[in-house]
Amino acid sequence: MSTHAQAHTPVPDAGDAMPSYYEIMETAVRELLVEKELIGAGEIRQMLEVMDTRTPALGSKIVARAWVDPEFRTRLLANGRATLEELGIDFFENTQLIVLENTDKVHNLVVCTLCSCYPREILGLPPDWYKMKPYRARAVKEPRAVLAEFGTVIPDDVEIRVSDSTSMIRFLVLPERPEGTENFTEEQLAALVTRDAMIGVVKASAPGKEKSR
Amino acid sequence: MTPTENLVKRLPTEMGGLDAGPLQRVEHEYAPWEKRCHALANVLDIHKIVNTEEKRRGIAALGSEMVEKLTYYQRWIVAFANILFEKRILAPEELARKMNEVAARHSATSKC
Repeated sequence: MSTHAQAHTPVPDAGDAMPSYYEIMETAVRELLVEKELIGAGEIRQMLEVMDTRTPALGSKIVARAWVDPEFRTRLLANGRATLEELGIDFFENTQLIVLENTDKVHNLVVCTLCSCYPREILGLPPDWYKMKPYRARAVKEPRAVLAEFGTVIPDDVEIRVSDSTSMIRFLVLPERPEGTENFTEEQLAALVTRDAMIGVVKASAPGKEKSR
Repeated sequence: MTPTENLVKRLPTEMGGLDAGPLQRVEHEYAPWEKRCHALANVLDIHKIVNTEEKRRGIAALGSEMVEKLTYYQRWIVAFANILFEKRILAPEELARKMNEVAARHSATSKC
């Protein structure tokens, strides 16, 4: 049952400043849906907590595991979603996850030209540049130039494959394991895998150039 | 190509292959209301009230001017309101009343 008090279950707020027109609209839509009992009073807050657990660190662990465990890598490439569900990662209904493996012959790059589809289950929310026109417009037309703007130079004899995401199909790039990491632990390897490497705009970091986090 | 032909051939949100300037490597911390908006999208999808494809269409239906001028989550919440009107889940006047109520609540507290 939805009481007035429950409908106003506090969710993190922007502070004391007068909210914008759009923020007021968000609050109003949410409260109306709760009053109509179409969504639960605490559901948005619970979803925010789930979203906070989804960060690129999860993707980094998956990549590191695929580097050290060939059997896992094979399953991951065969069926990304099912393999990650075995690890307890929840997916939204109807979304498939395709894992794209970079090799010395192929470099993969992921974009969403229509909107901002992204493997949020394992990378969290996409960066702004992924959602903005220049990346979405140019990644499919001149991927080498786009990569160069990220400081990534791909030799001409390496094929670049650009995958365009949809609401049903999301992609994760499995970067190449950097050289000189033969004795690294899975945890040390994960530290080399940045979010941008899993989108395909950069390579995994070289040893000694780990993420600061 | 006539000046309007591109409007017919492309959805306002369809960017692939267009000419565009250099990358803008910007990122911002999402504001709490933006995160709530995203959480709302997920919850609406889970309850089969509005799915991702309906949301995408709802954003395209805003038209090129709003797609261009509104920020990312501004587009989302306006699209959600429109889709909920279309589905007769919310009525426009009901949302207007609730928005006045929310605004009044905030102006009351911000005077403290």
